[in-house]
Amino acid sequence: MSLEGWVPDVGDYLTLAEVVEFAFDYRGNTTIVKRDGTEIVGYIFNRNTYGSESFIEYFDESGEGPFTLSYSELANVKFTGKDTAAGNSWRAWLERKEREKAERAGAVSVPDPHPHRG
Amino acid sequence: MSVPLSQMWTVATYVLRQKVARRKRYPFVLMLEPLFRCNLACAGCGKIQYPAQILKKNLSVEKCLAAVEECGAPIVSIPGGEPLMYPEIDQLVAELVKRKKYVYLCTNAILLKEKLDLFTPSKYLSFSVHMDGLREEHDEAVCRDGVYDQAVPAIREAVKRGFRVTTNSTLFDGASPLRMREFFDEMMNLGVEGMMVSPGYSYSKAPDQEHFLLQSRTHELFAKMLANPKKRWRFNQSPLFLRFLMGKHDFECTPWGNPTYNMFGWQRPCYLLQEGYARTFKELMETTPWENYGKKSGNDKCRDCMVHCGYEATAVDYTFSSLKGFVETVGVTLTGKL
Repeated sequence: MSLEGWVPDVGDYLTLAEVVEFAFDYRGNTTIVKRDGTEIVGYIFNRNTYGSESFIEYFDESGEGPFTLSYSELANVKFTGKDTAAGNSWRAWLERKEREKAERAGAVSVPDPHPHRG
Repeated sequence: MSVPLSQMWTVATYVLRQKVARRKRYPFVLMLEPLFRCNLACAGCGKIQYPAQILKKNLSVEKCLAAVEECGAPIVSIPGGEPLMYPEIDQLVAELVKRKKYVYLCTNAILLKEKLDLFTPSKYLSFSVHMDGLREEHDEAVCRDGVYDQAVPAIREAVKRGFRVTTNSTLFDGASPLRMREFFDEMMNLGVEGMMVSPGYSYSKAPDQEHFLLQSRTHELFAKMLANPKKRWRFNQSPLFLRFLMGKHDFECTPWGNPTYNMFGWQRPCYLLQEGYARTFKELMETTPWENYGKKSGNDKCRDCMVHCGYEATAVDYTFSSLKGFVETVGVTLTGKL
């Protein structure tokens, strides 16, 4: 199941750290919502919780970066970009191959009912 | 077995230097990903699913070389993405060869023929061509018809021009041992220096989630495929790793053996798992909780993994860590019996 389109409701049942984990695992752009209300569209490629202050790292929509933003400046992450790991092109390839196979099988197994016509 | 003597010597002396220095953890092969763009979208690949602005980006040659120096591994593998789409691939390779690094340029060979003029044959450079089997199996694995027929003439041309050419094959559930044996014959007929085989890793981002091999199936497949190997087959990898795949050896993973560097930094913990990034190689080695990875750790993500980037390093280390390992490797190499 893809998280594409999800706007998390950060609160008692879902912490910001949990949302960041989902965002880190997400292979699409997100909208990063800062505590001051500003929003940045970008790809979150890392989060670091090892040091004294946890932070995320991202490239913005134009590919500039990497930028760092501490958890204390972050309010939410919205999953607004296309999920590139949803496997759509692969499914299209599979469907085409299945169709071709079925067509080939049909050509072999369904004989011409009027072989001597014409 | 077909790893050239000079390369074997370089790796052997490197390992011995690490042992003398009493380094507990050291890298063997740097996996350098200068880009994520690819001209294929293979069913079992979880490496290229990124938004457009990420796919457009390239690491600079300077950053690549800095990573190579920082890491210090004697072998540099350049996967990706498709490295022949990297605009400065010729410059990068030339610089690595100048530094006497053994380079494996991993390519699907679609662009190989037209780009060959950019390179000069060298014992330090090998084109490692992705070939997942004979025509039917390969084209199905890469999800495009005609790729096998593009790769074969490119391999022939590269061999003719005096380049080192190896193949790398990733196997999934459903692979036929018999067809793979025919494939080995075919690759040897093309004149490649050696072949590399490995089971595919179950990337969570790969489109096809149904055909990754479980450990028992890996043993079964490789035992049948490599039983009574023909004398003419040459593998460009540790024979003990092949025995491990056949279920004749038990090894633990060496997740730091093939560290990965790309535009995000140093990938934790390994080439396959993507659990975060460190800014420096030192930080990667010192702050990654290594005990959480490998079969013994109980980590679900490692349970069925038998991939070369974790286990070949163990096999090589075993060869040079004990007389038993060394004798076994020499024995298998000389007799060709796996």
